[in-house]
Amino acid sequence: MNVVSCQGVMKRYGRGNALRNLSFTLAENSITGLIGRNGAGKTTLLSIIAGLQKQTSGEVRVFSENPFNNLKVSANTIFIHGNMTFPAAMTLSELLQTAGSFYHNWNNQLAERLLEYFSLDPSQNHNNLSKGMKSTFNMIVGLAARCPLTIFDEPTSGMDAGVRKDFYRALLKDYIASPRTIILSSHLLNEVEDILEDILLIKEGEKCLHMTVEDMKEYAIGISGPAAAVESWIAEREIIHQQTAGVNGTYAVVRNVFSEEGLERARLQGLEMTPVSADSLCMYLTSKTKGGIDHVFS
Amino acid sequence: MYLAEVKLSNIVKKQYSYKLKSYSSGFTSLIFIQMIAILFSFNGSSMMGGGSETFSYDVKYFTGSMILVFTMLWAFIVGILITTKAYRNDDYSFVTNQAASQYSNILFLLSACAFAGVTAFLSTHLFQLIAVFVLKDHSFMMQQLTVGEMLKGLCASYLYIFLLASIGYFAGMLIQFNRAFVFILPVVIFGLLILEGVVTGESTMLFKTGIFFGDETSFVLFAIKVIGVSSLFYAAASFLLRQMEVKA
Amino acid sequence: MLLNLNSLTPIYIQIADWLENEILNASINVDEKIYSQYQLAEMFNINPATAAKGLNILADEQVLYKKRGLGMFVSSGAREIILEKRKNQKLSGMVKELAMEAVQLNVGEDELVTLIKDMHRKIKEDMK
Repeated sequence: MNVVSCQGVMKRYGRGNALRNLSFTLAENSITGLIGRNGAGKTTLLSIIAGLQKQTSGEVRVFSENPFNNLKVSANTIFIHGNMTFPAAMTLSELLQTAGSFYHNWNNQLAERLLEYFSLDPSQNHNNLSKGMKSTFNMIVGLAARCPLTIFDEPTSGMDAGVRKDFYRALLKDYIASPRTIILSSHLLNEVEDILEDILLIKEGEKCLHMTVEDMKEYAIGISGPAAAVESWIAEREIIHQQTAGVNGTYAVVRNVFSEEGLERARLQGLEMTPVSADSLCMYLTSKTKGGIDHVFS
Repeated sequence: MYLAEVKLSNIVKKQYSYKLKSYSSGFTSLIFIQMIAILFSFNGSSMMGGGSETFSYDVKYFTGSMILVFTMLWAFIVGILITTKAYRNDDYSFVTNQAASQYSNILFLLSACAFAGVTAFLSTHLFQLIAVFVLKDHSFMMQQLTVGEMLKGLCASYLYIFLLASIGYFAGMLIQFNRAFVFILPVVIFGLLILEGVVTGESTMLFKTGIFFGDETSFVLFAIKVIGVSSLFYAAASFLLRQMEVKA
Repeated sequence: MLLNLNSLTPIYIQIADWLENEILNASINVDEKIYSQYQLAEMFNINPATAAKGLNILADEQVLYKKRGLGMFVSSGAREIILEKRKNQKLSGMVKELAMEAVQLNVGEDELVTLIKDMHRKIKEDMK
């Protein structure tokens, strides 16, 4: 069953389009990484899925219902994002208690143990926390709520490297303990790719790729070698990225549609074939021009 | 996948108790404001005096209505405050939708105003007590009220406070809907008052509004008027709320 | 053991390799239950779906067999299948790389064979 489905979703803000013609579905009990550059429309998309905002056109279904202003969707979804606010007058332990009253599957033991592990004082007020500690607290709420649809929008911003690592581990362990549908947005793919099942890559409000992480790692191939040889090899192919490498050398990334024999022949011609990591692929696919930053200076 | 089924009434109840906890600082400010009002009340609202060669007298009137006015002002501000983005978005950190937010807001204002009404009533009595103590060297007279009159007065104050909270709520929602209303609202209200004054030679709008509520001799009719007008404001506010999105 | 997450070898292949090693060094014997996808996911901090992919490779190669509702178990011919596969795939792949490198370096056939023979002898002696 699909937990989330989007059909031709468009969102307009003022004159610009934040999302355009976005269609995809997310299956139940999976962890999907929503990847894209700053301003690609990640937060807008997540806000629409969580029912906080309404799409300008197109159809969105969450648990087979229209999520905007929908109480059932709200009760079964938790959306952890950077602009999340909690009342200044309440302490962390009061907030956890309140969260427990709202969310059906709330795991209070988990919440309290995580609070202790991350050295957050339960009698402290939310607005006295530093940015990283706020993110940590919000993350704890997101995990302990155990909502059938759990959305984290850039959850680790401000966290230090140790806490980030712990968070991803905690997320994975709790996912195994209590499977649910998780969407995790990030612009740091290499940090999260191991715990992801699928990647949804968006660029300027449009879907770029949507596939499993493993497929994405095999989606493209890097070819490097003397410029002339590389050029002839990649002629008439869809070039994802191209840059000069060393003297007279070229490194190009193209779709991996070669046969074993083809790759073999290329190797014999002195070309080096290397896999392209999912992180690099996403970076190449979402860059403004094929040449990257070098293009500006040429 | 098991999905929790929720009832609107249930969520409204939870949002309401969440709000009571989170606005607790608002109640501290209320007590503070009423204390100030008591201080101001000692100024006396009017006085007269006279005398001859052998004696002179001063008569001072003291009234606790300053406390009610201050409390109404507080209610107006609380009404505005809970429409601000910071408070509105707090709802959306947990389970809610627009209806749940709106109903829990109204419930909250109803109970906050009840609390304010009672404390205003008590403050008035505190003021009387202090007055007795302070004016012990003077002779004084006090208006005596029956229990029925007192209760009626309490209810009337409550309705006035709630009316102001409702107006504040609607004004706040207008401002949230479009920032320009921060300027438009005062300009329109004062503009109309001045315009009426210029065109007709006298300004009666504010006066008439006062008459509409204040001159009502039947308590039931007065209550109906307040509740009706408040409901209109809430209906308009919920219409505005429906046009708004939550920014993540 | 930790996976080499930065390696360009896909993680599910690394998982399959690791499981094969566990079978080869007899950590898990024939007809014993092998780790579930969730145990693997937790051990290596990876998505359970990725771990399942590693398990499925071995099931497809009949190194593992499925028992409905119970999980996957090591089949009786597991060791032989793994050894055979490694000989065929891994070794021949490495030999190919070796030969290509030799061609690029202009190392002749006889010279290459001598190199291999020497190395083979040396390792065998070291292992004694």
